[in-house]
Amino acid sequence: MAFTKESVEEIASLHGEPDWLRTRRREAWEVYERIGLPDRSEEEWRRVDFKGLDLETFAAFEPANGAAPGLPIEGAAGVLQQRGSQPGQVELEEELRRKGVIFMPLSQAAKEHPELVRDRLFSEVKADRDKFAAAHAALFSGGTLLYVPDNVEIERPILGQYWSSGGGAAILPHTLIVAGCNARFNYLDEFLSPSLDEPAFTSGSAEIFVGEGAAVGYVSLQKWGRHAYQFANQRAHIAKDGSARIFNVTLGGRFAKVRCEANLQGHGASAELKGVYFASGDQFFDFHTLQDHQTGDTTSDLLFKGALEDTARVVYAGLIRIEKGAAHSDAYQANRNLVLSDHAKATSIPMLEIDNNDVRCTHGATVGPVDPMSLWYLESRGIPTATATRMIVQGFFGEVVDRIPFEQARHLVEEELEARLG
Amino acid sequence: MAVAPKINVGDDYKEKYGFFDPEKFVFKAKRGLSKEIVEEISWMKQEPEWMTKLRVRSYEIFKRKKMPTWCADLSVIDFDNIFYFLKSTEKQGTTWDEVPEDIKRTFDKLGIPEAERKFLAGVSAQYESEVVYHSLHQKLTDQGVVFTDTDTALREHPDLFKEYFGTIIPPADNKFAALNTAVWSGGSFIYVPKGVHVDIPLQAYFRINAENMGQFERTLIICDEGSFVHYIEGCTAPIYTTDSLHSAVVEIIVKRNARCRYTTIQNWSTNVYNLVTKRAVVYADATMEWVDGNLGSQITMKYPSVYLMEPGAKGDVLSVAFAGKGQHQDAGGKMIHVAPNTTSTITSKSISKGGGRTSYRGHVKVYPGANHCKSFVKCDALLLDDESRSDTYPYNDVDAENVTLGHEATVSKVSDEQLFYLMSRGITLNEAETMIVNGFIEPFTKELPLEYAVELNRLIQLEMEGSVG
Repeated sequence: MAFTKESVEEIASLHGEPDWLRTRRREAWEVYERIGLPDRSEEEWRRVDFKGLDLETFAAFEPANGAAPGLPIEGAAGVLQQRGSQPGQVELEEELRRKGVIFMPLSQAAKEHPELVRDRLFSEVKADRDKFAAAHAALFSGGTLLYVPDNVEIERPILGQYWSSGGGAAILPHTLIVAGCNARFNYLDEFLSPSLDEPAFTSGSAEIFVGEGAAVGYVSLQKWGRHAYQFANQRAHIAKDGSARIFNVTLGGRFAKVRCEANLQGHGASAELKGVYFASGDQFFDFHTLQDHQTGDTTSDLLFKGALEDTARVVYAGLIRIEKGAAHSDAYQANRNLVLSDHAKATSIPMLEIDNNDVRCTHGATVGPVDPMSLWYLESRGIPTATATRMIVQGFFGEVVDRIPFEQARHLVEEELEARLG
Repeated sequence: MAVAPKINVGDDYKEKYGFFDPEKFVFKAKRGLSKEIVEEISWMKQEPEWMTKLRVRSYEIFKRKKMPTWCADLSVIDFDNIFYFLKSTEKQGTTWDEVPEDIKRTFDKLGIPEAERKFLAGVSAQYESEVVYHSLHQKLTDQGVVFTDTDTALREHPDLFKEYFGTIIPPADNKFAALNTAVWSGGSFIYVPKGVHVDIPLQAYFRINAENMGQFERTLIICDEGSFVHYIEGCTAPIYTTDSLHSAVVEIIVKRNARCRYTTIQNWSTNVYNLVTKRAVVYADATMEWVDGNLGSQITMKYPSVYLMEPGAKGDVLSVAFAGKGQHQDAGGKMIHVAPNTTSTITSKSISKGGGRTSYRGHVKVYPGANHCKSFVKCDALLLDDESRSDTYPYNDVDAENVTLGHEATVSKVSDEQLFYLMSRGITLNEAETMIVNGFIEPFTKELPLEYAVELNRLIQLEMEGSVG
């Protein structure tokens, strides 16, 4: 039990990782040991309550066990299935393999394709960001590399599925996506586990490198069981004229702290950051988003929408940052919260830091109950209150669900939300 | 296209507001701050013992409190290099003729007497630390309205004073509130009795004339049930090579069904640190409105706040900030919903130019049990060139049920289409930009009395001239 230096070595040995990766794990471990838990007087952690989380109690990895459910979508061009902390099983269409697409567990990729992995891994999601990120970098297990070479377009989506059978362990997959120039594809990550009583320490971090002119759609669907504490960092690095469409779905876990960030590095780069969440029971979700316009002629569009029930709590804090030279940037940021119960609580903090005048930046945030006028209108047409409320919530989600980059994921998310609405 | 005449804004400021008279004082405390100086100030003013004790206690709190670090760098303020008290003339004038000639000249340049002659109900002008001139319409006096400087109020209305002073902003609230409570001098004291509507705005003007001077005025306004008052303050200081500090505390009590409006036009010179705590508590069905314009100063940190204590209370902050070269305007507002069914709005308009930085920093807090509250925050920022910066930091904490909260913000430059349209009508670029900026802050100016609106437009024009070409 508990995270130790030995467990770091053991994970590295278990997967036969090359020395450079082992060194990197050790460095992250040193950071983990050096820094304490985040100070709750810091602005980012002020509202985050990780009471009940004890990092000392988790096993560093979990062997594959238990039966995973079927695949969430059909007709994927490639599938990686990870069970517990073990590197996953991969299926990939032969034609894509011929075109040079690489899709494999991260430990294998580190050995076979260090040129793709070495400089990128943890360069966007840094180990020293906080203690949880350090734990993730030191003890990440399994994970995925997807590399799509220049000019390759993939019609059907690629799928990663990460299943954990239960609690008590750290499940820390890491997704690394590298898109060559003008590559085009969609990717879905699904994280799930049954609901057990024992807590689990999970992530769902992703680094996405979008090459020049490339277009990448990335959907992460988080359905960890209600015992899980999730700390995830998703960050896209977008080169000239590249576009990333990132869609975050957070439904599971007792606790989720998710950072979703776009690093707009090249002229003409664009990012869509969209999110949908449904928090019920005593769930706590915290979202931190960043639209970092490093250079000019860049566009970003963010919309996070969610509903809250029971005594759930949600914190959204987002920042648009326009650097000095980033002229002709256009940024939008909105967070909408529908509070369905008297005891649920949503906090929304949209922030701007603008260092260039030739820009257009707008943001908005709302927190409120179901609009009584809309409800009254529907009821006056003879629709019962419960149905009317449900229709309004569906409509509320519809605006953002329509923006999911590909159809299969759209249907999937619609079904998931339906199930949550009951 | 005609090129606008190039005017150096700094020079112009000096001519218009930057005049300084040779310091004339009957008493000037030593540089720096100590328990003895605090006691000396109190002794000079012949204050009752409780006030002396409060000052000394506040000084201890001030020493203990850490400097805030969450905003601009304030470590450059050298508390030992500041004069904390200066008494500029021996007695207060009650009519204009009695005010000493040189001080009168200062106010003449500021345009106060004309305004007074025309329509002002009362003028109270603070020169350095003490209020030198003060008058109030007989009618208002008959109605029981008290409008005087805070020192006089302590002498003449001790009970009222003691009941409210320091209850809204206790000395321990923050480091600068503690400092102010220790060394406060001057400011306005207003009491409006039940049901009295003061139809004409009450005005005060604050000015720093000496170098390294600290201005610590203290204002206390009490609006009794069903009353109404509009208070307006203006602030300026001449330009000196070393920095001055302005750290005021404003406390307002708005009782049931009353309404209070507090308007500030702050135009300190660009080496003044302007660190002000302003707070109002509002009771059932009463309204508090802060109209806050920040043009001058090097650094301003000011967040007028409203505590909504009982159902039906309403709070409103309307804030305009203009930051030019070397300036940082960190302004905003706070709305603290303590009771259910309370409403609040914050509207912020900011303009940055020539490397200036404006930040909106706001806080909307809804306490548990304060159900069915509504709050809306809107921030618009205009960036006039690519050296300037604008930030928005709205903090929202909702702990109650059925609360509706909205926030919106935009940041943009002056639109090319609008400029093109105006210029195609033969208007120069400079004039066109000034018109657009004046249009941008129009929701603010239209809330001001006419002469202040005119003054604000002139100030904006002054700031805008030479910005292009």
